[in-house]
Amino acid sequence: MRQRAEAGVPVWDLGVRLFHWLLVLSVTVAAVTGFFAQRSALDVHLIAGTAIAGLIGYRVVWGLLGGRYARFASFVFSPRATLAYARSVLAGRSGRYLGHNPLGAAMVFALLAVLAAIVLTGVVVLGGMVKQGPLAPFTPFAIGTATIGVHKLLSLLLVAMVAAHLGGVWYESRRERENLAEAMLTGAKHGPAEPAAGVRAHMRAALAICLVGGVLAAGTLTALADLPGLGVPTTRLDPDYARECGACHTAYSPGLLPAASWTGLMAHLDQHFGEDASLDAGLATRLRSWLVANAAEHWDTLPAVRIRQSIDPKDPARITASGFWQRMHRRIPAATFANKEVGSRGACNACHMDAASGRFAPQSIEIPEDLQ
Amino acid sequence: MIRRSAMAFSLMLLAGGTALAATAPAARQSILDHYAAEARKTDAGFKGFSAAAGQAFFLAHPGTGRPETPSCSTCHTNSPRNQGRTRAGKTLAPMAVSLSPSRFTDLAKVRKWFARNCHTVYGRVCTPVEKGNFITFMAHQ
Repeated sequence: MRQRAEAGVPVWDLGVRLFHWLLVLSVTVAAVTGFFAQRSALDVHLIAGTAIAGLIGYRVVWGLLGGRYARFASFVFSPRATLAYARSVLAGRSGRYLGHNPLGAAMVFALLAVLAAIVLTGVVVLGGMVKQGPLAPFTPFAIGTATIGVHKLLSLLLVAMVAAHLGGVWYESRRERENLAEAMLTGAKHGPAEPAAGVRAHMRAALAICLVGGVLAAGTLTALADLPGLGVPTTRLDPDYARECGACHTAYSPGLLPAASWTGLMAHLDQHFGEDASLDAGLATRLRSWLVANAAEHWDTLPAVRIRQSIDPKDPARITASGFWQRMHRRIPAATFANKEVGSRGACNACHMDAASGRFAPQSIEIPEDLQ
Repeated sequence: MIRRSAMAFSLMLLAGGTALAATAPAARQSILDHYAAEARKTDAGFKGFSAAAGQAFFLAHPGTGRPETPSCSTCHTNSPRNQGRTRAGKTLAPMAVSLSPSRFTDLAKVRKWFARNCHTVYGRVCTPVEKGNFITFMAHQ
């Protein structure tokens, strides 16, 4: 007859518990911002995603060096053992595991794998579509758009897996008459203490590896993120262009219109959106060449690609007539554009703080105070 | 070597800046003289520019230009002392010389904007007298 421990057996060490609840927090924030928040909240989503990546890395280290029940070795079961356990659950006669049972263990690995895939696809989307993050220097826009669907599907899959995980915890808690969620808080479970067989946590080694690895990874990723993005020209606005065109309106980034639009626009400066914007012929020719050489075709960014794809053929020089511009601004009432803080639909820089660069990063949107 | 040329360059900038500040009214006067000379070519009896006529010209709604810009006030408001705003939303410095001292001191710029804005508001080229009256009005504001 086995001895029952009254005070509970320590099962989940602090490393496991911290990981679990920090992951719950990060995934919740990432999911809420990903599914519901506006684009300008992207930074919060990115912080949550970065935290998830760090937690996964940390969990791998702890899975090799942590306490007894934290180690992967303590909950790697063969497919046959997992199937046998699943059958015994269905038959209502499954045995009890102090650590992860085979189905719970499978869920742990599946969650880690899916989370890693979500983080990875997220970084690809960020690099390709937003031209930010460590993959921005290498990821074409088309790869970013092709990946966002995978990122979303995996995220929906994760929601389903979390639901299954909660269902499993609820079922096992009932069956074992023990609150397993509480056990993940306190770390203790009822039951006979099992011999630890020489397994102990290598706290210092794990901390050192996490610290060094974290610093190295953060340094490398930050250095990559600081490189110029693929298809994001860093050439500055031509000073004559900035002065002449900026006299009446935002000096629009040349990447916001395709070459044909710029050519057509520069050919009719005397009829420029209802006004005469004639320039000295020599200057006009030079600026047209500069615009064509830096037109949307030479950019691989979200605004450049999408505007180029959705130019209004009846009004090809009007950025705000493009399908993309209209779609992105459809929820903004006309009164907002008429407000004295903005002035017109063409005043990009009233809300897009990085309009001059042509980047239009989601994080650079700042709605004027009295319009919020 | 580098330091000496940098110093020389700074002195040149300083001299240029001082000269510009001192000559803004003179530059404006030479533009007015230019338009006065043009006015005399067509009207030997030209007596000089009128600020009052310039004001009337500024406030008029001629109805002969583009529908988007029926008057100067479309962008510059009814008072030269106000900030203006282009139809595209950019803020414009007041036209009044007292508030924008560099106004009407660069002939090329003055020509460019009279050419454009006479076309859009009046639908025609402005006469030298109209231009001179306009500048005279703004210089007194």
